[in-house]
Amino acid sequence: MYPLELIVPPGFLANEPVRTALIVGAGAAIVSAVVGVFTVMRGQSFAGHALADVSSAGGSAAFLLGISPLLGFLGVAALAAGAMEWADVRDARERDLVTGVMLGVGLGVTALLLYLGTIQGSTSGAAIAVLFGSMFTIPASIVPLAIGVAGVALVAIAVIYRPLLLSSLSADLAQARGARVRRTGLVHALALALAVSLAAMTVGAILSTALLIGPAAAALRFADRPGRALAWAVAIGWAATWGGILLAYDSFYWTPGHGWPVSFFIVALIFIAYLLAGLARWRPRQPALRRPA
Amino acid sequence: MIQSIICNMPRRLLSPALVLSVAALISGCAGPAGGGLTAIGIESQYADVLSQIAGPYAGVRAIETNPNTDPHEFEATPSVARAIASASLVVENGLGYDPWAGRILAAAPNARRQVINVQRLLGLPVTANPHVWYNPRTMPAVASAVAAALSRLRPAHSAYFQAQVRRFDASLEPWRRALAAFKRRHAGTPVAVTEPVADELLEAAGCTILTPYSLQIAIMNGLDPAPQDVAAEEALLREHRVKVLVYNRQVTNPLTTSFLELARRSGIPVVGVYETLPAGYHYQSWMQAELAALEHAVSRGASTETLGPGAGHP
Repeated sequence: MYPLELIVPPGFLANEPVRTALIVGAGAAIVSAVVGVFTVMRGQSFAGHALADVSSAGGSAAFLLGISPLLGFLGVAALAAGAMEWADVRDARERDLVTGVMLGVGLGVTALLLYLGTIQGSTSGAAIAVLFGSMFTIPASIVPLAIGVAGVALVAIAVIYRPLLLSSLSADLAQARGARVRRTGLVHALALALAVSLAAMTVGAILSTALLIGPAAAALRFADRPGRALAWAVAIGWAATWGGILLAYDSFYWTPGHGWPVSFFIVALIFIAYLLAGLARWRPRQPALRRPA
Repeated sequence: MIQSIICNMPRRLLSPALVLSVAALISGCAGPAGGGLTAIGIESQYADVLSQIAGPYAGVRAIETNPNTDPHEFEATPSVARAIASASLVVENGLGYDPWAGRILAAAPNARRQVINVQRLLGLPVTANPHVWYNPRTMPAVASAVAAALSRLRPAHSAYFQAQVRRFDASLEPWRRALAAFKRRHAGTPVAVTEPVADELLEAAGCTILTPYSLQIAIMNGLDPAPQDVAAEEALLREHRVKVLVYNRQVTNPLTTSFLELARRSGIPVVGVYETLPAGYHYQSWMQAELAALEHAVSRGASTETLGPGAGHP
């Protein structure tokens, strides 16, 4: 037996649900980490979370209508992101209020759609899949769409990288330099919608915040430059996602014959990375602690 | 408690046809002819047995023609609560399948009301497979308990109820004979399932269920399945290691649909099973139809994905 087999058990990579989860999970982690860095810098973490919760209405509508859940998440998240940018509430307290109310409405509609889907649609497990994710039941047919969505989000961020960075650090400064702050904000919001939809497909609508905010927050705790923060966020999110899938697969052998949910492991690894990032910031001379879990 | 999040709603069966047939079943024995007794079967299969034993002496009503209700989803309406609270005899499944019924009964205490909890009747642990009516020993025990309860409520008709139990037992004889014959001919037949719905029927018929039980539980409870289990089920179908896929018609999701499609592509016959009385069936004819479908699948390789309109009489 190779030493590697102790960590990566035989059959892991040959398993189709695992392969789909690895591909879609990596895409969700990378896009969420990149968009998340800007979201955290802009102080829009709560809006990012609300967007994910509102998008669950789309995910549950997809279950009810029998269409691809990714399309459902995507449609509602894009609508909500556009509406939030369009409303353009400047006062931070009022923005939190509006966001909170929208979050409530979104989850309320989700509750109704899940109820209808369960009664009429003959589906089972929709509530868990939509809210907490069900990575090993993602159909392989979704892979091309997921890769396409991830690509579009990354290209959009790359195109507006400099003005987005500037306006995220200081909107006033960006305005003074002549950057199109509103258009940049709208593109960021749409990229956020794409990231949130992908994350909702993998770890569920409620936990997608963890993938969006966690790696970015951990990276921004110690990285001193935006480029490095992006690289660290991607590394943390990606490693946590693949590590979580591996641990969930392995947990089949150390739990009584079932295995624990992937979402739990991913979120736990991200949290550990966040704690380690705090240690790294306190004692910056110990580079060993900078490594993500 | 895992059993309390069991199963999601059935759904497809809430068809107009079923509503009509249950309405017919109820109106057939309800009303003034009921002699003032009302009996409730929480699940429609228990209501069917209730009305066969009570004959004209009780009005029988089924609450859940879709019993596979997620407690998160099911909301007992005030009228359902009133009906259950005022009934003279209630048959509930137990095993976490209908926990709301027990709560309604506890909220409306009535010393004269007779309650038959099938789990307690059979002495089953709470973790047992809740789909007990597929076990050939279950309904005869329920029928006897129903007759005893009715005799306490209407002692004058005790002899009638006992005679109905004998009739009921006799009417199950063709099914029992068919089960024995199947076991003789096809003992050890390997089968795959999506949920543990008909597992006890398959075991009584001598089949060997190769699907991991943890996968059946995950699908039944709507939980994330282990990828190892999914791969194992797919291998069973793709490599023709089973002769039949037994498919729960009432709880489906993208995963069970993918198993169904894989079985079709691999040429493995599919037998659809149900969690409530299908339209136009009595308990006896339903069980015989399921067994006949299994026999068809094993001996001729023919699928019976949905049961046709039932023959009706037991």
